Amino acid sequence: MKKIKSERLYLSDRPPLTPIKVVLLAISYVLLLLYVFIVLWPLAQILITSFNGNQEAYIIIGGSYSFSFKHFRYLFEETYFFNWVINTIVIAVATALLTLFVVSFTGYAYSRYRFKGRKASLMAIMLIQIIPTFAGITAFYTLHSILSAIMPWFSRQMFLVLIYAGGGIASNTFILKGYIDSISPELDDAARIDGCGNFQVYRLIIMPIVRPMLAIIALWSFIGPFLDYLMPSILLSDPKSYTLATGLYTLITDQYNMHQPVFAAGGLLTALPIIVLFIALQNQLVSGLSSGAVKG
Amino acid sequence: MRVQLVNIGKKYEGRENFTIRNIDLDIASRDFCVILGPSGCGKSTLLRMIAGLNSITEGDLLFDGKRMNKVEPKDRDIAMVFQSYALYPHMTVYDNMAFSLKMRKERKHVIHERVMEAAEVLQIKEYLYSKPSEISGGQRQRVALGRAMVRKPAVFLMDEPLSNLDAKLREHMRVELVRLHKSLDTTSIYVTHDQTEAMTMATKIVLLNDGIVQQVGAPSTFYEKPANLFVAGFIGSPTMNVFHGEMKNGIFHADGGIFTVEPRKEDADLLRPYEGKRVALGIRSERFIAGEQEKNGITVVVDVIEMLGKEQLLYCKFSNGEECVISEPGYYEYAIDETHHFHFDLEGLHFFDEETTLRIN
Ligand SMILES: Nc1ncnc2c1ncn2[C@@H]1O[C@H](COP(=O)(O)OP(=O)(O)OP(=O)(O)O)[C@@H](O)[C@H]1O
Ligand SMILES: [Mg+2]
Repeated sequence: MKKIKSERLYLSDRPPLTPIKVVLLAISYVLLLLYVFIVLWPLAQILITSFNGNQEAYIIIGGSYSFSFKHFRYLFEETYFFNWVINTIVIAVATALLTLFVVSFTGYAYSRYRFKGRKASLMAIMLIQIIPTFAGITAFYTLHSILSAIMPWFSRQMFLVLIYAGGGIASNTFILKGYIDSISPELDDAARIDGCGNFQVYRLIIMPIVRPMLAIIALWSFIGPFLDYLMPSILLSDPKSYTLATGLYTLITDQYNMHQPVFAAGGLLTALPIIVLFIALQNQLVSGLSSGAVKG
Repeated sequence: MRVQLVNIGKKYEGRENFTIRNIDLDIASRDFCVILGPSGCGKSTLLRMIAGLNSITEGDLLFDGKRMNKVEPKDRDIAMVFQSYALYPHMTVYDNMAFSLKMRKERKHVIHERVMEAAEVLQIKEYLYSKPSEISGGQRQRVALGRAMVRKPAVFLMDEPLSNLDAKLREHMRVELVRLHKSLDTTSIYVTHDQTEAMTMATKIVLLNDGIVQQVGAPSTFYEKPANLFVAGFIGSPTMNVFHGEMKNGIFHADGGIFTVEPRKEDADLLRPYEGKRVALGIRSERFIAGEQEKNGITVVVDVIEMLGKEQLLYCKFSNGEECVISEPGYYEYAIDETHHFHFDLEGLHFFDEETTLRIN
């Protein structure tokens, strides 16, 4: 009988593991699992609570359980939840688009062009980072009094978009500039000879290469309005115009509205748009595209 | 297309001095012009000015008599192969090569034909649908060549396109490039620091150093009549032997009294004004003749032998330690530490003024 070769080919590029490395690897896995537990446990509680029909205004851990959608029903029927979702998504999308659009230009320009005041303005952008977004309130009060007189249609939500995008543009310009800096300028030259104008160089060559970075910037700018409570709570007065964060917050602070399980249900639904966007961008987030352009 | 450079100079922003200056060149249509020079002498700068990627600080660039200084690169009807390839990383090899044609709204089947034709010549058909990051350096270089080829440009600019290939492939590509140049009917301008490439491919060589044109001409002129000491030392492998000395009574006396040379009549006439002055004598390794002679002979000890098969290079030492390289046919028998006599082939002597380094004869 022929002997069957049972040996498997070792295909990994790394050296094989030694016993010590196996132990270390096991320890890292244990630590990681612990971390996963710490992260997932509260999430699991939210999930369980929001579907638990036996929970009332206050969450009681370890109480009896009966599956029901009543908290979700409450959310849609008794609160402005639907408005909040729409508000937040509109603000988030507007913020993401505005940030992407402006950062595309500023990042490319700062990386590729030499102009007067380039260094100084970069420095200024850097310094602006130190000022907390919260200080945007000051800008709001000064600008609002002027703008509301000239352009009455300029709503407070639009201000919110401006404040979010303003902060995002500053920091992301830096990030994108650094990323574009790492792309050989000879690529631009080649594209120019191949027949591209300035704008085409960005659209056809640079943008596809920096797409992973743009995807991350878009994701961050999109998530921002979902997480921020402070700015909308100060800027927005009408509960109908609230964003998700401020709107849901009323469910756990207001004596009359107090409904903690509903808050949990709302929190759960809030995650949905972000997850959808993340999955949509997943392919774009793959980085390392620029390798192979130049020698080496 | 005829390319003329009139008194061209370039000064980079933020630099004290001109990188290159007073460059005058006339490259005839269909010339294969090689710009040769050591690293950092401004070859790429010059090429990029012709391409329109660097601005021209002073002087005029003319294509067929038309001033091109302010014309956009894309409107110059040129193609360029970059020193670092500059392939678009997010496109496949095929798309990289097709890009320029797509930008010019060429018809699909024309694009396909041209790309396939180029891929055939460059032997990259198998990789047409790979990304640049998935192919080797040499393959990338060929893709970069292909990308320029498909354009069928009027002027073909290349910046050290063969520097990353292995010796065999480089030899093959040299021939291929010359063939390509002929079939494309273009004017090619080729930058390199490799004198072999320059000598084998060029119809015209421009040797650049210190931002100045040292010599312009056909490859054979460079070898047989180097215009100055720099050219003499730069062109030819092994490097030309240069001996310093003085003219006395029409006879060249080398420093250290290692030998004397009585130049032939034509050279002697030209050397007359240098009587009593310092002069450098250059001779290529193959211009030594083995054997003793009463006049114009040298006596040396063989130090190192480099056997190349067809010929052998003898690295020899004079009595005072001065060195020289002599090449002899490979079947002659020499051994290290032997003393041998050679004499100069008077036809192969180059005389240079030591002060100006310019050629005398
Ligand atoms: N963008 C730039 N700004 C300022 N100086 C530059 C710039 N590009 C090149 N130089 C300078 O110009 C000189 C010539 O550079 P260039 O790239 O033309 O050399 P090269 O002959 O192509 O060398 P190599 O054979 O190494 O490619 C160098 O001294 C370099 O420092
Ligand atoms: Mg160069």
